[in-house]
Amino acid sequence: MASRVEILNDGGFRSDGRKQYELRDIVIDLSQQGSADGSVVLSHGLTQVSASVFGPREAKMRSQTLHDRANINIEVTFAPFSMGERRKRSRNDKRVLDFASTIKATFEPAIQTKLYPRSQIDIYINVLQQDGGVLQACINATTLALAAAGIPLLDFVCAVTGGVQSASPLLDLTTLEENDVPHLTVAVMPRTGNITLLTMETRLHVDRFEEIFQLVTSAGHVLHKEMKAAIKDRTRTLVAAMSVAPKAVGEKDPLYSERMDDS
Amino acid sequence: MCWRERVWMVEGLCPPFLASSPAAYPHLSSTALDDLSYDMTIILNQCLSHPSLHPKNLTISPRRKSWSLNLDIMVLSDSGNVYDALFLAARSALWDAKVPKTRSVQYQPKSNILGDQDVEMSADGSGSIFNTREVAKAADFELADYWDEGEPLEVNQEWPVCVTLNLVSAKLLPTYFLDATPHEEASIPLRLLLLFSFSPSGTRLQSMRLMGDGEIQLESMTQLLEGGENHARKLFEALEKKLEEEDLRRNQKAQAKFDLR
Repeated sequence: MASRVEILNDGGFRSDGRKQYELRDIVIDLSQQGSADGSVVLSHGLTQVSASVFGPREAKMRSQTLHDRANINIEVTFAPFSMGERRKRSRNDKRVLDFASTIKATFEPAIQTKLYPRSQIDIYINVLQQDGGVLQACINATTLALAAAGIPLLDFVCAVTGGVQSASPLLDLTTLEENDVPHLTVAVMPRTGNITLLTMETRLHVDRFEEIFQLVTSAGHVLHKEMKAAIKDRTRTLVAAMSVAPKAVGEKDPLYSERMDDS
Repeated sequence: MCWRERVWMVEGLCPPFLASSPAAYPHLSSTALDDLSYDMTIILNQCLSHPSLHPKNLTISPRRKSWSLNLDIMVLSDSGNVYDALFLAARSALWDAKVPKTRSVQYQPKSNILGDQDVEMSADGSGSIFNTREVAKAADFELADYWDEGEPLEVNQEWPVCVTLNLVSAKLLPTYFLDATPHEEASIPLRLLLLFSFSPSGTRLQSMRLMGDGEIQLESMTQLLEGGENHARKLFEALEKKLEEEDLRRNQKAQAKFDLR
């Protein structure tokens, strides 16, 4: 008989060995995938998601274009092998469509669509492995893919999940924890601190809300640092490949150092 | 794997399911993408559903229950030569698949014995221990182990490897090239897919498919098949090596790392 798994034990450790406020390992892989303009494979622990961005380009269906800005089209596919039990989800499944429109609503304020009227930005997300925090992973992957594609954004959008287990707040939940504990997902734009997404599908006591909300928002800022570092790394490689290397030690290429300035 | 009750005798694979990510074919609409996925699934299914490829150790209890194997393939990006990749992926995925070990169990109801007995009854109430008249045919099973243990699927060597010959000219002296990029694929009207299976008992041409407009002379088939077999053999050997390396990395090296800790 397996004993019931403790979400948070007396020593302050969770079922996967993390502490309460510890986020899972983040792996960001910004290598080129296929012919996408920007693509990323992002993992939060065991949750793995890949996002590819195409655009801005001419829309496939003229009827969907908007005269003054770009149309954002998001398609999400869940691999049948992504969960423990095999489940084939058709592309027009209501939950999948709802998921995609949540992500679209999250990015509407962040992407500078006014710069590209009558065009379309396609974002294709593949969920490869699910272990909790899928919405969070999809949003973070989309941000990175958009940045990698060079699409102008007002700011990064960083999402984290948080839950409360009998008065103890937890961050970055796994499937086991999500099934047990009321949880919410928050997407924050770090520079201004504005929230573009706040969803919760479980019941949480209103007294517990403020604490977990503040925590998740600050976790979003932490994630922002990681994502920014990954993008900068990739840009550094690209710029080095594009520009001529400095002639002598100490002589800096002015364009190079200007681009790499922290802003 | 899931178990399913099968009334008839054939155990084994469900048809393989193929999904294409829209990122793989960004120029296609979603209906066209579905059509393409379906086409590829059909080709996969026709080549791989032959009874000779059915794994032999999927039975739980003969004629009653067997494991059903689901093969799901997802195309993440397509830069040419997708069929070779699909069959390589199918082979690699099944390479280390394991079948859980089962143990047959039979529930015996407690027999109603009228009256008191002054003789001790055995625990399951079946009465005399010498009950040799009935041989119980176990109709149920239980898992004998968890997680990653189990027997390896008995298809390792037989699963085929595909090689696509893009035919430039299929006249008397056939000219072809391998591993086409999308531009090359678009410029060649005719392709020949050959699936070879290399097992210790011999080489076998598992399946063959001619795709596209055009025709080939029958006389050139021998050369094409010979050439295809050589290329497939090299591909097979390379894949085996890679899979063994991966196996080594997962098991022995991981164990060594763990021991060091």
